[in-house]
Amino acid sequence: MNNIYTIADNIITSLGFSSRENFDNLKLGKSGIKKTSDPKITQIPLQTSIVDSKRLETEFSRIDKPEKYTRLEKMMILSITDALKQTDIDPSKENTLFVFSSVKGNIDLIENENHPFDKDRINLWAISDQVCKFFNSAVKPVFVSNACISGVTAIIVAAEYLRNGKYKNVIVCGGDIISEFTPSGFQSFKAISDEPCKPFDANRTGITLGEGVGTIIMTSNKDLVKEEKPVIFRGGANSNDANHISGPSRTGDGLYYAIRNTLKEAGKTNTNIDYISGHGTATPYNDEMESKAIKWAELEHVPVNSLKAYWGHTLGAAGIIECIAGIHSIKENCLIQSLGYSEHGVSEPLNVITEFKQTEINNFLKTASGFGGSNAAAYFSELNAD
Amino acid sequence: MENVISKYCIIKPHQIIVDGKTEIVDSEKNEFGAFMKSVYKHYEISYPKYFKMDNLCKVAFIASEIVLQANEHIKEIDPDKVGVILQNSHSSIDTDLKYNDTIKDKSNYFPSPAVFVYTLPNVMIGEICIRNKFQGENTCFIAKEFDVEFMSHHVNELLNSGKLDACIAGWADYIDGEYSAMLFLVEKNKENKKDNISFKPEFINQLIK
Repeated sequence: MNNIYTIADNIITSLGFSSRENFDNLKLGKSGIKKTSDPKITQIPLQTSIVDSKRLETEFSRIDKPEKYTRLEKMMILSITDALKQTDIDPSKENTLFVFSSVKGNIDLIENENHPFDKDRINLWAISDQVCKFFNSAVKPVFVSNACISGVTAIIVAAEYLRNGKYKNVIVCGGDIISEFTPSGFQSFKAISDEPCKPFDANRTGITLGEGVGTIIMTSNKDLVKEEKPVIFRGGANSNDANHISGPSRTGDGLYYAIRNTLKEAGKTNTNIDYISGHGTATPYNDEMESKAIKWAELEHVPVNSLKAYWGHTLGAAGIIECIAGIHSIKENCLIQSLGYSEHGVSEPLNVITEFKQTEINNFLKTASGFGGSNAAAYFSELNAD
Repeated sequence: MENVISKYCIIKPHQIIVDGKTEIVDSEKNEFGAFMKSVYKHYEISYPKYFKMDNLCKVAFIASEIVLQANEHIKEIDPDKVGVILQNSHSSIDTDLKYNDTIKDKSNYFPSPAVFVYTLPNVMIGEICIRNKFQGENTCFIAKEFDVEFMSHHVNELLNSGKLDACIAGWADYIDGEYSAMLFLVEKNKENKKDNISFKPEFINQLIK
């Protein structure tokens, strides 16, 4: 079977415009979450993680006219441009597929009826049309909108195309922006934390939303791999709780199935996993369910973190940027502190990472769960490491 | 081994087509809600939660109920081996616009969690999974038009890799009174029946013409 190599990535969030910048901030334990009272976003003060708009315009104006694109499209084009620079891939070639993930897409256009774009631009496929056009791609893209697991699903679907040889390279790009729509909805659910979120903590009261974009480029072409020990995608799966459209399973069965199927696909028969990049939204129900699924998979001893207290829950970006952080944890042999956690607050005894640590990391498991009862997991490891 | 279509349902404006046979034509040309309610009654569906769903979920749900009727054996498959893979064009934009109306006017600001929860297209998949206790692979894809090539490729991969034994797959879309669904129950071909239709683009395209 083809190896699926990860060869380039980019993250754009409040913590920076590259994977390097973001990961350095994670290593320092620095959060990008701030309180805002911007009336375009919220009616009451809101903790959130926002991409620097001035920098976005400045950086984008170096490659094209900012007024031609929406906020999300600009972030996606910038992110893919940076990731492509790290490779020798020509995105206009027929052997390269684009896979996108977003939950709400150009939602700011729905809120602002006076926007200057064509009315079709509110559609998710309009975003992939624009981005593919920018990169002169003639291949029909794939677009995933699977709530909070969208990013992990996009990576799994991309890998499927590489495995069966239909394409040689896949550019996976996912993201979402913060406007009034999503915060107001979660506020109406009383699911937003007044303080920056505290995943797995006893005093967690809800999520913190954020915006961002992540890009990960994967290939089955060994010649494009520049590193001696690249990180490869080994397996992934998703599942459904079939329990409730807006609340997770009480038992963790759905997420457990996704983890089990992922490890089976990866051919991982033991539980020697070095790190779990959890979903950890910091809602009471999600984190509790997650702890049960991890216990069920007999992985409660594995160091786990949630990165949500750094850049918030970035919806369509979350799965991608958290996988990128996992890949960098392998490359730099380190574990990032699970920010916001001080007192254990879930019923199962998880091994939550309480401080930054340099230690050998050869692999990681990523998990995600979301509305609609969806769960996903993916497993990556260094080439020849297990 | 080939994966085959056990049953399919196409919902067009005022029409229900099942396995190629037009089973309902609404000559009165009722609007969506009334038409779907009559379909619900015609197929003797009984699921009170249906009435809480948004219109996208309703059209997907009705089509799923129809393809699962007389296919009781699906319920005997392990729940985590039955998946739901759907695609649509307009995501949940119809409900997004309704939700946006509740936050637009700051003097009349009443964001509703009951509406907000339907502002995700994959919730239609969640509803079908809850109804039938399906716990396998489930993803919502977006494309301007039904991408038969993609759908067939992805679903066949899931069945061939052993992740799934059966899958509800296809298309369901709703925007501003316009609706469509093309749902297929796809299974591994165990019996090698001659009249089975393979879940391949050339055959799917024939069925949805």
